[in-house]
Amino acid sequence: MSATTSNHLQHLLDHAAHYLPAQGPIGVFIHHNTLHAFQSKTFEEAVTEAASIYHTEPYMAEAAYQAELKADRILPDDIRVVVESEPNSSICKGLDRHRLRQVMLLPGVRSIDASTVAWHLEEGDWLTKFRSDVPSTGDDKPTTLWKAIESRLPQPSGSQSYKPARPADAVLSLNGELLDEIVNPALIRLAGAFLDQGVAYWPMPLRELGLYAASRKILSHKRAIFPAHLTGAFEVFLDQERRALSAEQALREQLSELGVSEDEWDGLITAELLGLPGWAGMIHKLENEPNLAPHETVPASLMDYMALRLTFTVIALRNMLGDTKSWRTTPLAKPSEDHRLITAQLFDAAQLAGLSSTRITSLTADEFRSFRDEVLGFDNIQRRRLLHLAYERRHERRILIPLQKHRVDPESAPASDQLAAQVIFCIDEREESIRRALEEVDPQIETHGAAGFFGCAMDYTGIDDAHGVSLCPVVVTPAHQVVEVPAPEHAEVHEKRQLLRRAWAKLAHWDHVSSRSLVRGWVTSTILGFFSAFPLIIRILRPLAWAKLHERLVKLMLPEPKTELSFLREDAEARNAEGTLLAGFSTTEKIDRVAAVLGTAGMLRGHARIVCVLGHGSTSWNNPHESAHDCGACGGRRGGPNARLFAAMANRPEVREGLKSRGIFIPEDTWFIGGYHDTCSDEVELSDLDLVPASHAGILERLRNSLDKARALSAHERARRFEMAASDIDPEEGLKHVQERAAHLAEPRPEYGHCTNAVCIVGRRKFTRGLFFDRRAFLVSYDPTVDPDDGALGRVLGAVIPVCGGISLEYYFSFVDNEGYGCGTKLPHNVTGLIGVMNGFQGDLRTGLPLQMVEIHEPVRILFVIETTPARLMKVIKANPELNEFVSNRWIRVSTMDPDDGHIEVYRDGIFERLEGDEEPLPTAPSSIQFYQGKMEHLPVARIIPSRAA
Amino acid sequence: MYDLLPYLTALPGLFIIVLGCLWLVGVNLPESALTRSTKLLYALLSLGFGWLMFEANSFEVDLGSWFEIGSYHYPITLVADKLSIPFAFMTVVLAGITGTFSQRYLHRDPGFFRFFLLLHVFAQGALIIFLAGSLDLLVAGWELVGISSVLLVGFFQYRRDPIRNALRVFATYRVADVNILMAILLLHCWYHTASWDDLVRGVWPNLSPAIQDSGITIISILLVLAASGKASQGPFGGWLARAMEGPTPSSAVFYGAISIHAGAYLLLRAAPLILSSTLAQAVLIFIGAGTAIVGTLVHRTCTDAKTSIAYAAQTQLGIIFVEIGLGWTTFAVWHIIGHALLRMMQFLRAPSLLHDHHKLHAAAGGHLASTGAHYERLLPPSIQLWLYRIALARGFYDAAIDRFIVAPIQAIGRVLAVSERTSK
Repeated sequence: MSATTSNHLQHLLDHAAHYLPAQGPIGVFIHHNTLHAFQSKTFEEAVTEAASIYHTEPYMAEAAYQAELKADRILPDDIRVVVESEPNSSICKGLDRHRLRQVMLLPGVRSIDASTVAWHLEEGDWLTKFRSDVPSTGDDKPTTLWKAIESRLPQPSGSQSYKPARPADAVLSLNGELLDEIVNPALIRLAGAFLDQGVAYWPMPLRELGLYAASRKILSHKRAIFPAHLTGAFEVFLDQERRALSAEQALREQLSELGVSEDEWDGLITAELLGLPGWAGMIHKLENEPNLAPHETVPASLMDYMALRLTFTVIALRNMLGDTKSWRTTPLAKPSEDHRLITAQLFDAAQLAGLSSTRITSLTADEFRSFRDEVLGFDNIQRRRLLHLAYERRHERRILIPLQKHRVDPESAPASDQLAAQVIFCIDEREESIRRALEEVDPQIETHGAAGFFGCAMDYTGIDDAHGVSLCPVVVTPAHQVVEVPAPEHAEVHEKRQLLRRAWAKLAHWDHVSSRSLVRGWVTSTILGFFSAFPLIIRILRPLAWAKLHERLVKLMLPEPKTELSFLREDAEARNAEGTLLAGFSTTEKIDRVAAVLGTAGMLRGHARIVCVLGHGSTSWNNPHESAHDCGACGGRRGGPNARLFAAMANRPEVREGLKSRGIFIPEDTWFIGGYHDTCSDEVELSDLDLVPASHAGILERLRNSLDKARALSAHERARRFEMAASDIDPEEGLKHVQERAAHLAEPRPEYGHCTNAVCIVGRRKFTRGLFFDRRAFLVSYDPTVDPDDGALGRVLGAVIPVCGGISLEYYFSFVDNEGYGCGTKLPHNVTGLIGVMNGFQGDLRTGLPLQMVEIHEPVRILFVIETTPARLMKVIKANPELNEFVSNRWIRVSTMDPDDGHIEVYRDGIFERLEGDEEPLPTAPSSIQFYQGKMEHLPVARIIPSRAA
Repeated sequence: MYDLLPYLTALPGLFIIVLGCLWLVGVNLPESALTRSTKLLYALLSLGFGWLMFEANSFEVDLGSWFEIGSYHYPITLVADKLSIPFAFMTVVLAGITGTFSQRYLHRDPGFFRFFLLLHVFAQGALIIFLAGSLDLLVAGWELVGISSVLLVGFFQYRRDPIRNALRVFATYRVADVNILMAILLLHCWYHTASWDDLVRGVWPNLSPAIQDSGITIISILLVLAASGKASQGPFGGWLARAMEGPTPSSAVFYGAISIHAGAYLLLRAAPLILSSTLAQAVLIFIGAGTAIVGTLVHRTCTDAKTSIAYAAQTQLGIIFVEIGLGWTTFAVWHIIGHALLRMMQFLRAPSLLHDHHKLHAAAGGHLASTGAHYERLLPPSIQLWLYRIALARGFYDAAIDRFIVAPIQAIGRVLAVSERTSK
């Protein structure tokens, strides 16, 4: 075998693997564009192409958009505008493409397809009466119109056939059996054992040899029984073992066994990979990034997987069809085009367009052909495309018009000398409610938003952690190490704590293993089994009581040492033991990081006496998707340590001194405090409070009180979305409700996560302060007036567009096709190998988001509103290929808000269009609660004006 | 209290009828009404059976007979003793817990109503099994538990796999249930009774066989086989993992707690008969021990949360069978109760595996004691691989069924289909 063909095969595999899901082990969940592989195409092209490859839905169902039309979520005007924004073409006198499309969307075509056409015609009323929702065209009869159309259509062509893409297609057509149901279970068992990160008591032997070699050795054992369709597998694997084939050689052999010539490998390999996309995708991911494996690095290889898969396929084919090549010449019949279906579509459209039977008969051949082509060309996917654009247009106007109105007359922000505190949150849209609540509770507090790693990309090892983890966006590789260490006077406490934890781990591990084994299981289940009754009953009947009891017990048993972060680096080149990471940050590096956050947010001077920085994360039970609720800017982890580190850096005198040269003047009596906000239980913890100067005690107390009130209000606002929370509860009950969710074993929706994300506003807080965004807007603090060279804008957008765009698109796809792009309902999910979830006992790994996480989502591409000018924005976008792809290919929607006069311009296909019109109101309410209480649906932007209530 | 027992026993059934009627007339019961009444129902039942737990004497309630032909009649009796009441009590408590759990877990699921209906069918079936005074009545409960179990495995009916696996479970149950029906038939033929009262003498746990006859051996073996079907033992030992397709709470209450132990209950009731026949005893011990050994081997290689627990449960069930076979019946009851509670909890928190493992890993300082190493130390590589091969193929159970039962039947079917076509 020449080197070129071997590279060729590897190259083909790599290429085909692009179509596989790119999700890594589920313990660290990174939101990303589900169709990342298609991002070089425009959004509309990509969703359509992907739909045909994966057999998925590109948009919501047409009926769903029609329901939105009825609910006034889409207005007739939106339909008109999107239809007219595309080129027109004349069809016949009095009818052009625009008008035809307009009526086909509103009132809209009736749903009909190959499986229902016969019923509608023979049993339904399609041929007995005309549509009642369009004006009648004289004394025409439905049957006359039908015949008029039918007589003008050419006779249907005979049925066509096509070649099978992979053996399974041919087997299904010939035997009516599913080849995948024979091959997949065997592969899942082996791949599951191979990738396992510590569930199995007995790990797969020989797995260091790779999936193919290990499986071959295990399978070529004589004393074994194979299912009937895999008869002969033993001999085949033994033969491969004797000849010591490499995976590549085995794969090539199987490809030629299947009669596939080299130029057709690509198609077969792609089709076969998509036969079990979840597992294949995981193998591919771990092949490229072995370090993603949470505990055990395994030599994963897609070549191995493919060799194994095709070997099984060949064996099964031999058993099922008698040979391995005939599948290629099996013609698969395309379902013949139902003549009646075409007629029915034209029939419906003719009624919508007001074409009577006489009009149809009098059309010239060209006119009729053009009518037919326009109707059939404006198929279900095209209609949904325009309906989707209309759906997004209304969303856009419901955000932008009120925003522009508010911009003219913003809520007055406190002057800097009146500031009680400033709180920097993550930009996350889930923090929008607590920020608003905080400013409502205490108008002298000002909030800001910065990406939740607060510029501190680090490899962090907490006091209880075994290893360091990256706390930064996934695209960044941290270069600095930060370790949480016990305060010197607490070294002993720390030691005791770790001893106790080791002892607990031993006991818990022993309990875990022994309760499941033979002999030890006998003893433990008989003697200790009964004690399971207590947690069983209490945890399910009284989850909060159990959580409190547990917390109290832990506090009692496990002493907690005071800790500090080791982040100072005096020596320029000091590194960690392995020499891979810089130990902590030097003074300049600290200054860089603090300046990056404060400078971008425009917090240059006049800081409040307390500046609080809150990272966030989410804690819940029985939730394999827990990490998907953590901070995306921290790489799917919790951002508390980043906030703590940021505060510690900003409190260093030498940093403050250095910041002056960057134009940032922090008053001497300003103190930074780090903290953590749990978006599930709405717990807020502040760290290092013992270091806060005594002079700040009063103001700290005030901040804590305000935070306490705000988190209850925020929890209450979250609770409005949950059907299980009563609509008339008060904030304290709301807080209790979300705490119970976080502690409950049975809760598939501990929080709704990013479910409501829809908007991202990059600009000064003073123009969004006082606006109710219904937890739907990422709020990024950016001050264009102090960013003359747009450097800060470039950095901000470089981080937030991929992160927010990824979140938005992952939710979009998991919503529009939850089974195809998402992972379906959580209820039958089964954690496997600590890397993912599958349905039942041997299914494919499910990627994407579960139904329970996306159910109240509005599938719109995220709308960015950036406070800058179009020219400045495009300069930044064009300079960054990734951003350019997002924007030019319309994976996100972009608009600008002028920094001077606040007018909004919307980006459409390369040009900016000024926002006109004011049909969307800006409702006002004296408080957020009064605006949302009693409502469960998505709410419009509103203005909260406490003063005007009085 | 005696009078109350029939009402307590029939309460879930009554509830099903009310719910069913409401459903039929098109009443769309809100989730909260359904769960509130469910909780109330099981709270009442728990109180009732909890009260009965303190009843010192065992008693029997005669509800007349289903039908009589001459001197021959099918009696319907309920038996309350130190064996049946604890099982009934555990059933209603755990069904209540499952209902409470599912109220949240299945919230907004389109099958919410169906799930609760099936849960009640299951509870009714289990109560009948545990309280039936005769095998005739017991088998009614047996089938209710079976059918609700199958329908819950296939709960997600829009996907292919759950349906396939539910069908497999159903087929296994059917074949296994033939044994209990045969046993009943033979009992009636030979001894004209299937009442526990007539088969065994004395008060639990001091029971002795009421019939000494060689026919008892056959009946005992049939009962052992029937019990094996429900408990995923011996010849019927391959379906338990397939049952993991259903929602987590039903996996917990069926395959962790109650349904899986129903077979063991049958054996406990019939223990005096089984123990009176050395052959039946040997069969029971052999099935139990064999399943336990294969089960533990398979469990050691399972890489997913639910299958792992399923095989661990199957292993302990094997031991319970052995215990009963050895006559350690009181011990077996303790084992069953402890095991049921333990597995139920493990199933319910199976989705926390990642969370738990992560915590454990961190607490252990990043190095969990490695497991399974003794296989590598003690066994020569070829045997290691072979054992691993057996375990990975789940004891070749599925492959053997496919090869030696399904495939030949399909082959015969094909031949018949061809001959039918040609003869026309």
